[in-house]
Amino acid sequence: MFSSIKMIFAVLLITSIAGAGMYVMKLRSDNAVLKANQHKLETAITEQNKVLEKQKEDFTAILESNKKLNVLINTFKKDLQDLDKRFTKKNRDIGKLAIDRTGAIERIINKGGVNAARCIELASGAEHTDAELKATLKSEINPECPALANPNYVPYQ
Amino acid sequence: MYHINKIFALAIIILLTGCSIGGEKKIKIFSVEKPREKLDYPMPTALQLEELKWIIITSENAQEVFAKLEAAGIDPVLFGVTDKDYQVLSRNFAQIRQKLQETNNLLKEYKKYYEPEDKE
Repeated sequence: MFSSIKMIFAVLLITSIAGAGMYVMKLRSDNAVLKANQHKLETAITEQNKVLEKQKEDFTAILESNKKLNVLINTFKKDLQDLDKRFTKKNRDIGKLAIDRTGAIERIINKGGVNAARCIELASGAEHTDAELKATLKSEINPECPALANPNYVPYQ
Repeated sequence: MYHINKIFALAIIILLTGCSIGGEKKIKIFSVEKPREKLDYPMPTALQLEELKWIIITSENAQEVFAKLEAAGIDPVLFGVTDKDYQVLSRNFAQIRQKLQETNNLLKEYKKYYEPEDKE
């Protein structure tokens, strides 16, 4: 009788211990999953922060680029206005001028043609010459496209 | 018998907890970002234009101009524009140049944005 009780008690004890052991194992496995999830979340947060930082940098770069292009387009408008002015300044009539001073106008037009061709070369990506870069006086610049040809020239206001 | 039970119980305990000795293995998660290959086209070659000569002809100097052409062995023929059309031509060329400059600038900006040199 006493031995049967002992046996039952031993079985109960062993079952309890086994149950406790299994429970601990389950807890450990849950813990591992939770740790992995935590790690994933932390990684995701770090990555998100990196993405946000990059986005900020990108927006700044885009704004800067837009500003540059707007400046360029305004320069274009001014260049065209300056070209028109050269033809029509003080009611100038280039046809009449060419009749009166044929040789001089021919020289001016040919010089203008050379300058305009140089502007096209520069616009297509040609390197500036030293003289073009150093030009700061009106007499030294390429009047067809000073903003493009002579970056160091500051026009008189 | 009592001792056998004790040993048996102890063996079961060790058996059940033995697998967890040393703790669970840590899972390492890492991601490697493989950047997209760069297109890396070179910038277009700059133009090298040939020089051309403008000749102004009026009713007064026409004979002289043609005589000079003939003397120089050039066909006495000219392709002409009026003074107004010359202005239009100048404006058109200025616009072509500006478009070229704008396109080249856009290309540079795109290159700078998508293919920055410091990440090479």
